[in-house]
Amino acid sequence: MIGKTWLKAVAACLLVLFLSTPALADTIRIAVASPFTGALAGYGDNVKAGVTLKVEEINAQGGINGKQIRVEWMDEQCEPREAATVSSRIAQNRNIVGVVGHLCSSAHLAALPQYLRHGVPVVAPTTTAVSISEQSKDRDGKTWAFRVVYRDDYQGEFLAQYVNEVLELKNIAVFYENNDYGIGLKDAFVNKASKLGLNIVGQEAYVSGASDFNPQLTRLRGRNPDGLFISGYYPEGALIAGQADNLGMKVAKFGADGFDNVDYISLAGSAAENTYLTVPFLADAAEGDAKEFLENFRNRFNREVDWMSANAYDAAGILLQAIAEAGEDREKVREYIAGINSPENAYQGIAGLTYFNDKGDTLKPAFVKKVKDGQFVAAPVQMD
Amino acid sequence: MFEQQLINGLTLGMIYALIAVGYTMVYGVIQLINFAHGEIFMLAAFLAVTFITVFGLPIYIVIIMTMGCCALIGVLLDIFAYRPLRQSPRLAALITAIGMSIFLQNLAMIIWGSRPKPFVQSALPPFLRTTALTVGDASISWLQLFIFGIASLLMIILFLIINKTRVGTAMRALSQNRTSAALMGINVNRVISFTFALGSSMGAVAGIMVAIYYNTLYPTMGYVAGVKAFAAAVLGGIGSVPGAMIGGIVLGIAEALGAGYISSLYRDGIAYAVMIAVIIFRPSGILGKSTLEKV
Repeated sequence: MIGKTWLKAVAACLLVLFLSTPALADTIRIAVASPFTGALAGYGDNVKAGVTLKVEEINAQGGINGKQIRVEWMDEQCEPREAATVSSRIAQNRNIVGVVGHLCSSAHLAALPQYLRHGVPVVAPTTTAVSISEQSKDRDGKTWAFRVVYRDDYQGEFLAQYVNEVLELKNIAVFYENNDYGIGLKDAFVNKASKLGLNIVGQEAYVSGASDFNPQLTRLRGRNPDGLFISGYYPEGALIAGQADNLGMKVAKFGADGFDNVDYISLAGSAAENTYLTVPFLADAAEGDAKEFLENFRNRFNREVDWMSANAYDAAGILLQAIAEAGEDREKVREYIAGINSPENAYQGIAGLTYFNDKGDTLKPAFVKKVKDGQFVAAPVQMD
Repeated sequence: MFEQQLINGLTLGMIYALIAVGYTMVYGVIQLINFAHGEIFMLAAFLAVTFITVFGLPIYIVIIMTMGCCALIGVLLDIFAYRPLRQSPRLAALITAIGMSIFLQNLAMIIWGSRPKPFVQSALPPFLRTTALTVGDASISWLQLFIFGIASLLMIILFLIINKTRVGTAMRALSQNRTSAALMGINVNRVISFTFALGSSMGAVAGIMVAIYYNTLYPTMGYVAGVKAFAAAVLGGIGSVPGAMIGGIVLGIAEALGAGYISSLYRDGIAYAVMIAVIIFRPSGILGKSTLEKV
């Protein structure tokens, strides 16, 4: 009796599998791995918007070789352990040709070993940690991991220069999140700042999800900084800005790409004023195709474009172009993307030209935004 | 700076203490560590914001309504999740508590989304964020005074309920021996429900205050706060209500001083190290009674 029930269950499962297979045959599948739930879901939303727009455009034009694109949204909550599970599920599903993701550097680093071992091409829209460069190749020296964003060493140095030359601050207090992104960015900033003769009055760490920063801020306040650098993401950044304000620290705040989310302003309230941040994409600097993209994005999602959506749009664009040109084969797609390696054959995206070096890195300019009257605006002075 | 750190720690500690009493009372009465208590704390923050945005009620009424709602949620939690397991091994109830915690967390994510939200600032009197008084170089905001005041008031009320009322006497009787208490004519289930209601409404106040103080609420906020408050309850001696209050304050101050003077990276570590140190020398906590295992 029990045996029969089992048999029926297995038969039912197989039937479902067979029924769903024909549907799969005329679609091309890619995966997007990002935090769609959890504290950083706001970022996942941005990535989702960018990829959705690109995929809808291609599907509306008839897809690739007559096949529609289907996206598997894989939620990893920005948690390294979740990312490891998600990446292994993606790697083992041979129907998935390539990945756009991950969003957080720590999650990306945890996912990479699976992609390298099973040979899955992955284009990251937003991961800026320096250490990723050393882990983008498999044992045979083939590059599988690419990213369409600059690295934290570039961003951190740029920020230090901006603080020194444009904002003309002298005494800087530093807060950093204790993860790959926060530490890498902070180190690059502090090194450059010290060389430029800025005075780093203190460095305080925090862990993701922390909510009380008063003890650290109290300590920093005693050293009279005129600038507060927060090397982390916006949920904690907003709390730090708000609590600093409550403690009477009326200082300039600055962060990096991890701050570019409207939730930063809604969470920090008036304390968000006088915050500067570096971003890889600035809507105000957009030209040509990018203008059209801004328009489409606004119509489709009813909000302004942020840099993550722009980069996700380009990352999906690169992956899909590779699939269109090289076919639905992971190895061929990888080869095609690795071949985009010089300004001559660069991918023209809306966030500028993208071409990769041997380690899958790219060089993109940085822009500066600031918060003024409760909104992100382009900072009056940009720097080359 | 020391005074300011002390005030930072005290504010944090008062909040831990309010949550910790919920853990300790339930443990005292039915020997269950109610892991879903942190989620009640989180639900309170979301309910309060919902009441303000949907019904536009003033904050004072919202606090009382939220306390009522959370008391009800606490009672329902007991009736549906824990009461059917009253005669089962303790482990079954414990695992159910963890399950309820995950359930409530995900429920909140579905209802309110998982992005962090700000508290409705316009619902608060604007003077809250201004400085109330200055001690040395330390400043105390009205909000902090408000937290001290409400937390102290609630603890006094709690103390009076437990020590001076009939239902409080029944709770204490239950914590000593449930069977004997039942034989004396105490309605065990009703007293347990009352305990859940009382603990949950205290946790609700803590949830609203945290949301106001940090101006942020998110579905996973109950987890960290819950773990800290649980540590506070253990530190004070689980089952002892004054112990939970002291434990919360000690933990809050240890955390603030640890982060302020030793290393901000190890602030949680320092708080837990203090707890472990106390437990090593006093296994039953600061005010806990040591009980003999009868063989």
